[in-house]
Amino acid sequence: MANLKLIDIKKSYGKTEVIHGLDLEVLDGEFCVLVGPSGCGKSTLLRMIAGLEAITEGSILINDEKVNDISAAKRGLAMVFQSYALYPHMTVRQNLAFGLENLKLDKDDIEKRITKAANQLRMEDYLKRRPGQLSGGQRQRVAIGRAIVREPSIYLFDEPLSNLDAELRVATRVELKALHARLGNTMIYVTHDQVEAMTMADKIVVMHDGIIEQTGSPLDLYNKPANLFVAGFIGSPKMNFLDSSSLPEDIKKHAPKGAKTFGVRPEHLNIQDQNALPLEVRTVEQLGSDSYLYGATIDNQEISIKLNSQTSIKGGESIKVGFDDSNTHWFNEKGVSL
Amino acid sequence: MTDVIKFFTRRQGKKKASLTDWISYGFLFLGFLIIFLPVLWLVMNSIKSQFLLQKYDTNFLPMDYERVARATTYGPDGKDILIIKDLEPWVMFWKNLDDEERAEKDVVNYIKNFTGNEYYALRSHFGLVSVFAKDLIVNQNLPEWLIKYPSMFPSAKKDYDPQSIVDNLNTEDARLLSEYLGLKPYKANGFTAQILVSMPDPETGELVEYSVSRINPTKDTVNARLVTNPKGGITKLPQNEIIINKSLKPSWINYTDPLTKKALGSFDAVRCLNNSVFVTIVATIITLLINSMAAFALSKYRFNGQIVFFVIILATLMVPASVLIVGIFKMVTMTGLSGSLWGVIIPGAATPTGVFMLRQYMLTIPDELLEAARMDAASEWTIYWRIIFPLALPAIAVLGILSIIWRWNDLILPMIAVSTTKAAYTIQLCLLDFNGEYLAREHYALAMTVVSLIPTTLVFVFLQKYITTGIASTGMK
Repeated sequence: MANLKLIDIKKSYGKTEVIHGLDLEVLDGEFCVLVGPSGCGKSTLLRMIAGLEAITEGSILINDEKVNDISAAKRGLAMVFQSYALYPHMTVRQNLAFGLENLKLDKDDIEKRITKAANQLRMEDYLKRRPGQLSGGQRQRVAIGRAIVREPSIYLFDEPLSNLDAELRVATRVELKALHARLGNTMIYVTHDQVEAMTMADKIVVMHDGIIEQTGSPLDLYNKPANLFVAGFIGSPKMNFLDSSSLPEDIKKHAPKGAKTFGVRPEHLNIQDQNALPLEVRTVEQLGSDSYLYGATIDNQEISIKLNSQTSIKGGESIKVGFDDSNTHWFNEKGVSL
Repeated sequence: MTDVIKFFTRRQGKKKASLTDWISYGFLFLGFLIIFLPVLWLVMNSIKSQFLLQKYDTNFLPMDYERVARATTYGPDGKDILIIKDLEPWVMFWKNLDDEERAEKDVVNYIKNFTGNEYYALRSHFGLVSVFAKDLIVNQNLPEWLIKYPSMFPSAKKDYDPQSIVDNLNTEDARLLSEYLGLKPYKANGFTAQILVSMPDPETGELVEYSVSRINPTKDTVNARLVTNPKGGITKLPQNEIIINKSLKPSWINYTDPLTKKALGSFDAVRCLNNSVFVTIVATIITLLINSMAAFALSKYRFNGQIVFFVIILATLMVPASVLIVGIFKMVTMTGLSGSLWGVIIPGAATPTGVFMLRQYMLTIPDELLEAARMDAASEWTIYWRIIFPLALPAIAVLGILSIIWRWNDLILPMIAVSTTKAAYTIQLCLLDFNGEYLAREHYALAMTVVSLIPTTLVFVFLQKYITTGIASTGMK
């Protein structure tokens, strides 16, 4: 059980600074998801926490103890890698035992831990196989199992689901969440998939270009994005952004002072006359339960709409969409939420 | 076995073998012959007897001829040519034996079985004339200058008259002394081994035996002498009509003699093989360890001068080995390793080829595995020994095979390091030693060459499977 504090963390490769002074606190038992587009520094941050990457400036505190100069092995963390990084020449059992042997635990203890983890992750059947003989999902389990047997204070996950197919990903997501509930350990999870972030996190940290854009609970981020980037990144399809000057007068009058960009989520748009925007539909996607309309305003700003039903609207039609006032977002010149 | 049959009956199409199949199999077979025939030829020659090898026998199989001795003697009756049958093989090759082996044979008693010209011929063949003559001179109190007489200059010989002394002796002693002194009509007797052939008499159909000095398969005739009447001169026999009394007679002593230390001289094949095995195994283990450690550092660590080190190591590949001979010799001598097997093992332990090969292979091992191991609290040594080494095994096996072949076949390094110490000779040096200055022992050399091929062949057969299988079925996605 542990908490984690990052104080003014910086990381440079030569002269290029990739992480520009991060502060973050992860509480004991929290499931914290670092999310952001690729190249935003989230994996680097995770590797710095793990101790695989040196930090250029700042300090990392685990349980209020500075661990900057403590090696990865001694930080007592466990990491699940994107590629799983299972030792291909060892059986599953040997993979699980490797870390424990290095810690010089006695044999009975190792055996007990492996049995327990195998039981938890339902992988007793393939303990004697090599990673090459396992399916993607099974390898995933072994990778998680290897972390579990270590009984670490903090679990680190580096995009662990990105190699699974869609169905398995959803299933594993649920399982991981259940695992967290059962173990109660602090977990730090890196992903570029905002759906994963929304579904699993207690706390989401949205990163972009080496800084933290916003930290908060999933619904906080969804309902009150701090800026344009977060507003656009969280939610699928992404939020519609319109230049506020091009809006019809009756919408524009709600705009707070200094508003530059107006934002509304596709799922908050309806075909109605209140706050109506004239729109030309270009494409329609019918998913059965939902329908997505993609169109453009008169001055050619793109808009997507999500309807919770099937629709008879076809491409090329002109419609009017409206929204509730409570569901609107306004951003100033710098993209900061108003 | 069924796999082998399946493999060799594979065809392009399902029906009958097509032209492509014939060509492919033909090409395969040709390639096989080109590679395999010389080896097979070597093996077959290694079980031929020394006699056959000296006759440049071109038969594929070790068909041994029946041999006879052809001798020439000189006496009061003039020159006599005689054929002596049924002699023991060592008698034929007396000239090729060394002192030690000659000492083992009781020739003095052996020649007592013969009489007349056969006796005289063998007596000079065994070099007994001077021994007996000196005994005679001492026993009969003859003048001492007789002993020196054969080696005198012709001008000095004029001052003495040996003939008068010889005339006073009985016939046997006179002949012995005359042969020793080279007095007329006695000349040095000749003795050579020849091949016994037979041919049916054109009229009676009876088999007649002939003695032939050599059979040249490219000629139509052979020069032969009648065994019953050797003095009758040489007759030309048509090659296709003669019957060569050959029998398949593999000469296993080529193998057993050197391996049971019965071979000539100071040669000890078992010791040489032991030395070679020791050098090969120890040097290969050291090579694999050192090279894989260096390759690990070069491929997986970031440190200052990394590229410089790598380039320097690679640059040594450009230096021809022969340039280093003097340097290595000085090193080996100054470190006191000269004459010790360690002088052979250590200088060649680090090979740039090995470092380069392993480094390139290790680059393909994902860094994430190392990071995972570090997260698993593994020390750097544990990472090397339990992660990198087993994962690089396919490359290490290749280097192992190469190292074994290099070390086993190496001649230069042993020559530099241990050529002065016979006890430390490796098999390659020993093979070289076979062809001594005075003694031709090709039959042993060939046999031991075949023996020296066995380890490398076995190693390849067993490790080759390891390469092709490769255990690096990756656990990465």
